Amino acid sequence: MSHSPKSLVRSIDPATQEMLDLTQKAGIETIWDRFDAMQPQCGFGETGLCCRNCNMGPCRISPFDDAGPKLGVCGATRDVIVARFLDRMIAAGTAAHSDHGRDIAQTFLMAAKGEATDYKIKDEVKLAALAAEFGIATEGRVKAEIAQELGKKLLGQFGQQEGALAFTRRAPLKRQQLWTTLKIMPRGVDREVVETMHRTHIGVDNDAVNLILQGLRTSLADGWGGSMIGTELSDVMFGTPTIKRSAVNLGVLKTDEVNIIVHGHEPTLSEMIVAASRDPEMVALAQKFGAKDINIAGLCCTGNEILMRQGIPSAGNFIQQELAVATGAVEAIVVDVQCILPSLVTVAGCFHTKFITTSPKAKFTGATHIEFDEKRAYEIAKQIVRAAVENYRFRKPGQVHIPNVKTDCMVGFSVEAIVHALGGSLTPLIDAIKKNQIRGIAAVVGCNNPRTQHDYGHTTLVKELVKRDILVLSTGCNAIACAKVGLMLPEGAELAGQGLRAVCQALGIPPVLHMGSCVDNSRVLTACAAIANALGVDISELPIAAAAPEWMSEKAVAIGTYAVASGIFTVLGLMPPILGGPAVTDLLTNGAEGVVGGKFAVEPDPFKAADLIEAHINAKRRDLGLAV
Amino acid sequence: MNDHSGPFLLVNPDRCMGCLTCEVVCAVAHSRSGALSAAMVAGETLSPRNRVVQVAATRFPTQCRQCEDAPCVRVCPTGATYQTATYTAVNQKLCIACKLCMMVCPFGAIHISSVQVNSRSKPAAVKCDLCVDRADGPACVAACPTHAISLAHPRAVMNEANQDSAQRFLAALQAQDRAANAVNRTTEGTSL
Repeated sequence: MSHSPKSLVRSIDPATQEMLDLTQKAGIETIWDRFDAMQPQCGFGETGLCCRNCNMGPCRISPFDDAGPKLGVCGATRDVIVARFLDRMIAAGTAAHSDHGRDIAQTFLMAAKGEATDYKIKDEVKLAALAAEFGIATEGRVKAEIAQELGKKLLGQFGQQEGALAFTRRAPLKRQQLWTTLKIMPRGVDREVVETMHRTHIGVDNDAVNLILQGLRTSLADGWGGSMIGTELSDVMFGTPTIKRSAVNLGVLKTDEVNIIVHGHEPTLSEMIVAASRDPEMVALAQKFGAKDINIAGLCCTGNEILMRQGIPSAGNFIQQELAVATGAVEAIVVDVQCILPSLVTVAGCFHTKFITTSPKAKFTGATHIEFDEKRAYEIAKQIVRAAVENYRFRKPGQVHIPNVKTDCMVGFSVEAIVHALGGSLTPLIDAIKKNQIRGIAAVVGCNNPRTQHDYGHTTLVKELVKRDILVLSTGCNAIACAKVGLMLPEGAELAGQGLRAVCQALGIPPVLHMGSCVDNSRVLTACAAIANALGVDISELPIAAAAPEWMSEKAVAIGTYAVASGIFTVLGLMPPILGGPAVTDLLTNGAEGVVGGKFAVEPDPFKAADLIEAHINAKRRDLGLAV
Repeated sequence: MNDHSGPFLLVNPDRCMGCLTCEVVCAVAHSRSGALSAAMVAGETLSPRNRVVQVAATRFPTQCRQCEDAPCVRVCPTGATYQTATYTAVNQKLCIACKLCMMVCPFGAIHISSVQVNSRSKPAAVKCDLCVDRADGPACVAACPTHAISLAHPRAVMNEANQDSAQRFLAALQAQDRAANAVNRTTEGTSL
């Protein structure tokens, strides 16, 4: 099938191309159209040289030596302005992940207290492991009691004022000491976010290096704090992911079933929607309206959460959300928080689709709001599912167009699942790295961005890495991109180099391991820490790297920064707004390595990005005395 | 008598950040309120007469070139568009918004917008007038944060180019003379 040239430029994914042809013909505006209409975009914002932090501004610093102002009205230099803005992006990203983590911790505590009875302590093994990690007595205590103590302790991390966040103890001792020496050990999740907002206020921190150090500390409060709490307690409540099969892309929507899309981030809602969709009463109702069954599909990271825990298929990644609705086959798109396009109201309005918001934090004018309450979770989930089922009769068959494109995938690679697949310890993986069968590990993560061709950066970089015997850990929208092209099937090992292929084939696993949502990047940290500890080295000494080829969100900035602050070389496919500050740019892409052992690189060409990662991994292997 | 030396806006694309400040101040300079916040409060239609465009990675504002044999003037059926000694102007009272000027402008520098004429709102052609009524000259020139826009006078530009090329020519001549002298000296040296 031939697609319009515009569709081909915008995405490499056939399902997306097909739907873009359709939206262009139907005159349905998408994220790409709005991006085009936004051109040209302001160069001051693009380079970080615009400051709106006080009402003496807005201030814009000219990047040209011989023309225009060189200082803000307050006297801030371009590096200070760039550092302040970057810090605020990190703080916003950290806040987003951490508020998600806090919601999980609160639900967990309510469940433990018996106040949110629809949620259970599903994974007792993980509960016991966390209890041991936090020195919580388990002898002769019931799990509710243990869970309450754990829940209180972890919820307390958000408001902690002093000391170090508890999960930082997972990092190698050397790393912890480094953070303490640099005075970037995160003290409390909320404290670091608040302090960053304070420091970036007019007339507070006016030293670019000092500002960036606080940015690092804030990001660590995300990775080793808010995000990790979110991941760990979600596992206890909903089950630690295990290896399972599913499918991805718009073709997972069904013509003869009620389609409900869950979109957003927190599993608290999506898990309940999945459960309610299996309620015999709901299924019977669906059948009464002529549907065969109720089909749930995920989008974005809440999609990843239920994909890896329940095997629920994903309809696609971030940039496909409008297209999913434009299939005309979606009875309801149910959302909670983060990465939800406000334009969904308009697109849903072109069809019978109900756009249902559920979080008091995230309302969209024009949407149907059914507020979620953890204490009545199942009841509300049923109400939402019922609304979707009752909407099935309003579907217009003439408007339905579901691309016949989907790919099977193998998902659910939590650290625990990887250890299990390896026979009980990480040793076989470490041995494979030592023997140079696997040359190193790269975590490839992050969003989509209309600034770059959809899925091209993600899949091209990952294919290049596995070809070079680099095992890829994947989360978020990268995970869905990889799954779409078959990289998350054991057969995907055929695309890998000889060494990695042999390991994958022996274990029956894909060369790209689905580790979950963007909050689950904390799993990557946990895995890196465990490998470093097993080898008796720091994370920065490992042959590992990270990449975010198509990133766009502030959360991605926080993730990239905590990776660097944890000692991981991180390659971004798109330039963050820092170029206006030469000292900040040099610090992040060069100087940081001498301080925290990790640094950023920016490389839009995925082949060159793979070269950078390979060179880094080779250098680290040499330093460890391993064959290259 | 027209000596063909009317000024025009000269843009340096290397300097443009694409911030659209020139568009905003242009619209404000031609608003009734004369200030952005006041115009917004009054609910005025703000319509810039310039437009920042992007070609590959380069961004820069485009606006009227103040053509001296202007197609917009020639095509105007009511005489609304006319030529002054220094720029091409629109008499909005006479304009019937027929869009012919829009069609023929090779720069896309003229368009129809809502304007107030004798307290009546009507559609009429609007285009860059070099801010002739503004004491400090064009608003976009004054506001550009990187000084990418200037008001150029053709004679001055020509004089500058004359000077530049003359200097280059002299420098080249002198260099040739020096080289010739050096060769002569060397030749003299060997002949000794």
